[in-house]
Amino acid sequence: MVERSVDEALLLLRKRLCDLHFIFSVFSDSPDSNYSKLKFIVSSSVTEACNNSLLLLGPRGCGKIAVLDLVLEDLLKEYPDMISVIKLNGLLHCDDNCALKEIARQLCIEHELMFSKVASYDDNSQFMIAMLRECGLAHKTVVFVLDEFDLFAQGKQRLLYSLLDAMQSVSSQAVVIGVSCRLDADQLLEKRVRSRFSHRKLLFLPPQKDDLQRLLKHILLLPTDSNLSRDYVTDFNSRISNIIADKRFIEITDKLTDSDCTVSNFMRFLFSAVSCIDSKSGYMTLENFKSALSTIQRQPKLDCLKDCSILELYIMVCMKRLEVKEQESYNFNSVMKEYKTIHDSFKTSDYYSHNVCLRAFEHLLDRQLVEFADRGHNQCIEYRSVKLLISHSELHQGLKSNRSCPVSYLKTCMI
Amino acid sequence: MADTTPTKRLRQTPLKSPPNTPIPLTPQTLASPRRSLRFISSPAHSIPPANTPVNPKPTRSKSAVTLNNNNNKKLYGNDSIKDDDDDVIYTFSPISPDRTETKKKRKSKAENTVDRVNARVSETKIKIKANTKTKRRVYYKKVSYDGGEFSIGDDVYVKRREDDSIEDEPEIEECRVCFKVGRGVMIECDDCLGGFHLRCLKPPLRAVPDGDWICGYCEGRKLGKDVKLPEAPEGKKVRRTAKEKLLSSDLWAVRIESLWKETDGSFWFRGRWYVIPEETAAGRQPHNLKRELYRTNDFADNEMETVLRHCYVMSPNEYAKAENEGDDVFLCEYEYDVNWHSFKRIAEIDNDEDEDEDATHDDDWSGDEEDSDAELSDDMEYEEEEDRYTAARGSTPAREAAANSRKGFTFGLQKIGTKRIPEHVRSHKQTELEKAKATLLLATLPKSLPCRNKEMEEITAFIKGAICDDQCLGRCLYIHGVPGTGKTMSVLAVMRSLWSEVDAGIVKPYSFVEINGLKLAAPENIYRVIYEALTGHRVSWKKALNLLNDKFSNGAISSKDDDRPCILLIDELDLLVTRNQSVLYNILDWPTKPNSKLIVIGIANTMDLPEKLLPRISSRMGIQRLCFAPYNYLQLQEIIGCRLKGIDAFEKQAIEFASRKVAAVSGDARRALEICRRAAELADYRVKSSTSLPKTGKSLVGMSEVEAAIQEMFQAPHIQVMKSCSKLSKIFLAAMVHELYKTGMSETTFEKLAQTVSCLCTNNGITFPGWDTLLRIGCKLGESRILLCESGASHRLQKLQLNFPSDDVSFALKDSKELPWLTKYM
Repeated sequence: MVERSVDEALLLLRKRLCDLHFIFSVFSDSPDSNYSKLKFIVSSSVTEACNNSLLLLGPRGCGKIAVLDLVLEDLLKEYPDMISVIKLNGLLHCDDNCALKEIARQLCIEHELMFSKVASYDDNSQFMIAMLRECGLAHKTVVFVLDEFDLFAQGKQRLLYSLLDAMQSVSSQAVVIGVSCRLDADQLLEKRVRSRFSHRKLLFLPPQKDDLQRLLKHILLLPTDSNLSRDYVTDFNSRISNIIADKRFIEITDKLTDSDCTVSNFMRFLFSAVSCIDSKSGYMTLENFKSALSTIQRQPKLDCLKDCSILELYIMVCMKRLEVKEQESYNFNSVMKEYKTIHDSFKTSDYYSHNVCLRAFEHLLDRQLVEFADRGHNQCIEYRSVKLLISHSELHQGLKSNRSCPVSYLKTCMI
Repeated sequence: MADTTPTKRLRQTPLKSPPNTPIPLTPQTLASPRRSLRFISSPAHSIPPANTPVNPKPTRSKSAVTLNNNNNKKLYGNDSIKDDDDDVIYTFSPISPDRTETKKKRKSKAENTVDRVNARVSETKIKIKANTKTKRRVYYKKVSYDGGEFSIGDDVYVKRREDDSIEDEPEIEECRVCFKVGRGVMIECDDCLGGFHLRCLKPPLRAVPDGDWICGYCEGRKLGKDVKLPEAPEGKKVRRTAKEKLLSSDLWAVRIESLWKETDGSFWFRGRWYVIPEETAAGRQPHNLKRELYRTNDFADNEMETVLRHCYVMSPNEYAKAENEGDDVFLCEYEYDVNWHSFKRIAEIDNDEDEDEDATHDDDWSGDEEDSDAELSDDMEYEEEEDRYTAARGSTPAREAAANSRKGFTFGLQKIGTKRIPEHVRSHKQTELEKAKATLLLATLPKSLPCRNKEMEEITAFIKGAICDDQCLGRCLYIHGVPGTGKTMSVLAVMRSLWSEVDAGIVKPYSFVEINGLKLAAPENIYRVIYEALTGHRVSWKKALNLLNDKFSNGAISSKDDDRPCILLIDELDLLVTRNQSVLYNILDWPTKPNSKLIVIGIANTMDLPEKLLPRISSRMGIQRLCFAPYNYLQLQEIIGCRLKGIDAFEKQAIEFASRKVAAVSGDARRALEICRRAAELADYRVKSSTSLPKTGKSLVGMSEVEAAIQEMFQAPHIQVMKSCSKLSKIFLAAMVHELYKTGMSETTFEKLAQTVSCLCTNNGITFPGWDTLLRIGCKLGESRILLCESGASHRLQKLQLNFPSDDVSFALKDSKELPWLTKYM
């Protein structure tokens, strides 16, 4: 009985963590929230038949698209059959021609019309303008969502121009919503395009500390009115409340938000914490959050160094020594020379042949600990100049944490 | 050409009023204000005018307008109007048997009408053969029939049943209480449309009240009471007006689309039906007005015999202004699609005349498909037209064409429409703020265009000078100015005013082609677009170039309408600059040719575009240039004020503030309008979201809203983002600034920066997060362009640079509560 409850509870928590609507519905009630502002702008375009264009700006992971989807979903419910949404992504449709084709395709699907793939640019743009006009006459709003808006603002910006120009001359009813993480996205627009843009901006910021607390409770506390067993739920909830109030837990979350305080990062953290739950006991513990933090804040380069073989470390140390000697550019051969001098001066027991070293060197290249400095492809590896990509202190740290590293080795490094 | 000469009208035959056309002389009601205020004096006082209800002037002139447009834009001849005036004798053929059939079939939809057309056509075919093709259908613009004058575009009542008795057709309705006509002022109820004598009411009214008035019966019914209308006195037949009959679907209303005389001498018309709300699939909707009709896309041919008399179906604007058309006034705002059962607003004629024309003609001719076979030789004048619309023929659902390709263009769009007209559109009363928002929209065309009179005069003078002299030498005008200074708008306004002069016959007709450089897929496509606009044919751009060369340089005239001057407006001219600039050269070279009759108006932003071009082009561009200077704040204020006239939504200083601000930055009128609209939106949002506030308080848009709108428009939001970013990001930024001050170099590498950060951290008791975390933070900041940085792959060699001035960063971080020590380093 309890086990089933545990499974169900875990399922519920995971479902919540992946459901952006559930997460962002916390913030949607106040009039200052982006949700209500955005909803007001879009719905006023629906009810008052006006054209608008706006930008949603903010760092990644702050819920721009999530809030927009929430708004659109609510509006579609509120005004059924009156809104058609056209979604474009700058990464997919930055070419004007293909963007216009995609618009025509989605308009056709939306209104159950036949779509022809071979239609030309002119045909498609005329079709779009005619559709905008007809939709306006039929009191239908067309919402264009341009994700990665900055990528549309490249080149001649024909698409944006014809969209925005249609909106100021045709009796249409349309909203163009650009979504971008670049704060200067509107500066990218050409003069004549910018003049036609309505310049509404909504800024999405990462949540404050108390908002995160609210979010935490909203997500982790189990509902009392579900079919989970009552005792389990009350027990679970009281433990969660205890953890949330715990000083150590606050430390953990602080550490997390110090580096990245966006919602998406926080959700990732919670998800890995929830995944750590011991299904036997069925309750969340502080340990879960601790291990989640360590999985979230990985140090990939250091981990890489941990796994390096001794020869690879040797090679990097040699490169470092060269750099310390202020030798700016070096290649494999000069590194090998340095390796020989180390070997000679410290009389280490192991000396590897040229071929083995080359193999180790290639490994380093693959792991991007070392990089070619130039772009020439016609030379063989030995002669191309290379760069060390990790800093000296990182290397030092890596050597210390490497289990197989001999003591003499550290000495050479200390020079 | 016929567009300057008035359309030939049939001579009015002396009215001998044949016995089988029993339409009585309809006494015109005296000029009576329509709705609530309907003063109807007794018929004794009303002076019956000559013999016909005079065709309202506007209708006639409108038909003339459409005629002109046909000529100018589509270049198909108006030779369809045959001028055989004087020898028309009214032969009233007996009521054709299929007429009643039509009426029955009307309920069923379009396919029936096609059937009917078939039937008729086969009939005519026989006749044609019999007459050895000497006689043919003759089309008219205007027909004088049975004492009434009917022209294309008129709205008429049509009898529904053959035996529709029209003798007792009262022009004036009776009072609902005393059932008598006349004798005193009558008032019309806005709900049931019943008429009442003022003195018959209880209590009697002295004067007609302002605004809406609802009779006591309707009021009672609304309150849920059982109301008994007074019954007519014994023996008296309740007579109903045509309007009442129409609204209870005993009559039809129809719009005449074409008129012709059959070979047998009978007169026919093709009509476009109107329906009352009850006859639509959605039924009467709560927001429907009593006098509302829907225009359908359903056509039928009928004999003129069935026409009862005129009625007046108007658009909402006309309806609001209409006063003295009497009882037969109806409102029509939407078109009803009989196939899809959907509604669509009717586009306003002024804006898209040509498209509207296209649509009607299209429908017109797709109905006549079979005709063309039978009367191919007869209808020569329409052949070209037929050609054009063969593509549209594919628009039968069986052979569905893709909507976004050219061929299926006319088809797919009919499908779009609402099943029900949303209520909020019709019955919502706009607040002042909403009115202000609507009028400030860029899409709404202002009634007047202030501040550009001088430039518009210059353009007018240029165009008139070019087309008015008989030689009509080609000319070229270059207009430049920053965006949003009304360049395109002014040219189009000049064109509109010239159209009206063409209609009035002052200016010779010309053809006008408008092209936007940015909307062309490639510069070369402009040839194709021009050629298509002039002739309606689509060819490849190379062929179009050859044909246009023939036309303009060699003066080859392909059709008789071709010799009119052509005005070419090219917006965003700079987009046509190609590598060898051949497109611009060709276009600007044509006007210099002696017979070209081409006038080019180019619009672009940069002042020195001609100088940047090759000398042979800039010399052809001529010296005639017109500069649109940015608006100053007074002009902007006037523009905004002109739009907001009569709407009390803005404080005066607010408008001034907005216009001063915009004038200082760009002088872009669009910006100014958008700022004001945004400010109104903010105020509206504030009003609507605060439910606690009483609604009585008038909310004006003040300085604070305008300030907020300006902030939103002009300021990058980076300071807010920096303020709210994570702790380590702040330290990162502080280290960037610190590094900048220390070295004086704006660019730094990640390695150096990480050392600074670790230094800052250890000095202030914060654990250094590790290089990889720091790199991630840097990349995140780079993503939102607070920093400019290379990709993170180059790790410690990654180059970093602040994207905003360091002062902004120090300002944003100066009073952060969690990291008070940051100020030390900046």
